[in-house]
Amino acid sequence: MILRLSIASLFARALTVGMTVLAIALSVALFLGVEKVRTGAKASFADTISGTDLIVGARSGSVQLLLYSVFRIGNATNNVTWESYQDIASRSDVEWIVPISLGDSHRQFRVMGTTTAFFEHYKYRQGRSLAVSDGAIMDDLFDTVIGADVAATLGYSVGDPIVVAHGLASFSEHKDQPFRVSGILEKTGTPVDRTVIVSLEAIEAIHVDWQSGAQVPGQSTPADVIRQMELTPTAITAALVGVESPLQTFALQRAINEYDEEPLLAILPGVALQELWGIVGIAETALLAVSAMVVVTALIGMMATIFSSLNERRREMAIFRAMGARPLTILSMLVLEAMVMAAVGALLGMIILYVGLFIAQPILDSAFGLWLPIDAPSLREVWVILAVICAGAIVSMVPAFRAYRMSVADGMMVKT
Amino acid sequence: MKIAFSLIALVAAMPATAEESRQLDAHEHGVGTLNIAIEGTNVAMEFHAPGADIVGFEYAAESDTDLAAIDAAVAILGAPLELFVLPDAASCSVVDAQAELEGEDEHDDHAEDDHNDAGDEDHEDHADEAGHTEFHAEYILTCDSPDALTGITFAYFEAFPNAQEVEVQIITATGAQAFEVERDAPVLNLER
Repeated sequence: MILRLSIASLFARALTVGMTVLAIALSVALFLGVEKVRTGAKASFADTISGTDLIVGARSGSVQLLLYSVFRIGNATNNVTWESYQDIASRSDVEWIVPISLGDSHRQFRVMGTTTAFFEHYKYRQGRSLAVSDGAIMDDLFDTVIGADVAATLGYSVGDPIVVAHGLASFSEHKDQPFRVSGILEKTGTPVDRTVIVSLEAIEAIHVDWQSGAQVPGQSTPADVIRQMELTPTAITAALVGVESPLQTFALQRAINEYDEEPLLAILPGVALQELWGIVGIAETALLAVSAMVVVTALIGMMATIFSSLNERRREMAIFRAMGARPLTILSMLVLEAMVMAAVGALLGMIILYVGLFIAQPILDSAFGLWLPIDAPSLREVWVILAVICAGAIVSMVPAFRAYRMSVADGMMVKT
Repeated sequence: MKIAFSLIALVAAMPATAEESRQLDAHEHGVGTLNIAIEGTNVAMEFHAPGADIVGFEYAAESDTDLAAIDAAVAILGAPLELFVLPDAASCSVVDAQAELEGEDEHDDHAEDDHNDAGDEDHEDHADEAGHTEFHAEYILTCDSPDALTGITFAYFEAFPNAQEVEVQIITATGAQAFEVERDAPVLNLER
């Protein structure tokens, strides 16, 4: 009975109520959206590398090395000499080692030089291996394997020729050495999707006719000659290392960190990720707090509209009372109205969130490599909605209590 | 002849290269590091702590009391299960435990001011004699039921009043994780 009255009353004031509901809906969508992005980003970062015990690079910071070597963002770290790489590779406690060489690009995508061992040892999302969706892993000098996003964005298929540019900007393209797409990888949701993978030797081959970053005029070595050349790399950017036994990890890490011939750094990927998250975590909490404040603001806005509606509803309340409604009925009607508004707002917020997710998911994925899963609402989200409804009820208590006290005296008096 | 010459050249070159590479480890007073690697029933642990945390000084010990303090500290560090208390259910036992004091030969200017308030003259004196010192310990344990390793209680903080914090890194089959354990909350919970 009261509920019906409440709803009818809400419909009677559709415009103001609608605005209030919209404010709550947007605030709830914002809060849940921030939460989604937060957990999604965390999961997608943590899933990028697994199964690698150590990442070795030039001495920098653990976060910088991780970001550059695995996520290919941030500042480039120094290179590591091939000799040091060989030294580490020949240690008995190293089970496998995969070199990575960065620094060239193809259009907007990074080119990574590595060995075929990369496909065997690079693991993501709790131990999943890379898989080729079309074609095969490179076996010729000028073969490339491209990530799913590279293929989709540039419309490449197996067998297409591609040109690799020197440096990140494509102002000077290595036009002489046409590479060929030999394979396309399945989508992984990791930076590999946006990478063009070539062999380490190919990276050297690109630079055969190049001296200090510019092409030597009039000189162009034919591909056949390059094939005959000794293409041992002189430097790599980083290396992924697997140890024989986890028990040796710390000893190997220390040995690399104390390596005398060259300042190197070995990091535990999991620990570096945690470190990164420790830094990002503060901003994350701030973002969450701000969006929570937006929800509170919307609820206070609702309180204000209820207050102002009390004025225009003085007669209505008085008539209810005159017809025998107890003050408590008036109070519960107002609280119920508020709860209905909050509930509708929260549910509408959820709908906005999911619609937004459907629209934003592919954009976020291609622009930032951030994959936000669209799941059924989690228990946490259900709690958030319940909390918003409860908060709405509590907030409405203030105007409702005022109406409870004033209803008779106020509305019955004839005012001029 | 040629070989002999290159040998001499090599020997002559060695001290030079040793001098050219200068590097130091991080050294933060009050903070120790504990690395734990678990594989099956084998548990390897490494512990590093600055001398200031363990015995309260980092100059080269000469007096009998200082030497005795170092000996006592090394003895305490030799019993890992008393310092880093593991759950009984895991039934761990020590296979090997080694602890020692290491000094750092290289030492440039003393940047930290917080660890020695003994006055300027004294400060210079000890800066000349020795730099930072660190206690290192390595332990090998076996645990009958490693799944029961759900937490570590750091009695370490009770044994060494100057220690404030331990940075813990743990490698298990699922990967590496880092934790910080502080004096105020000396229990590390490994359960997720």
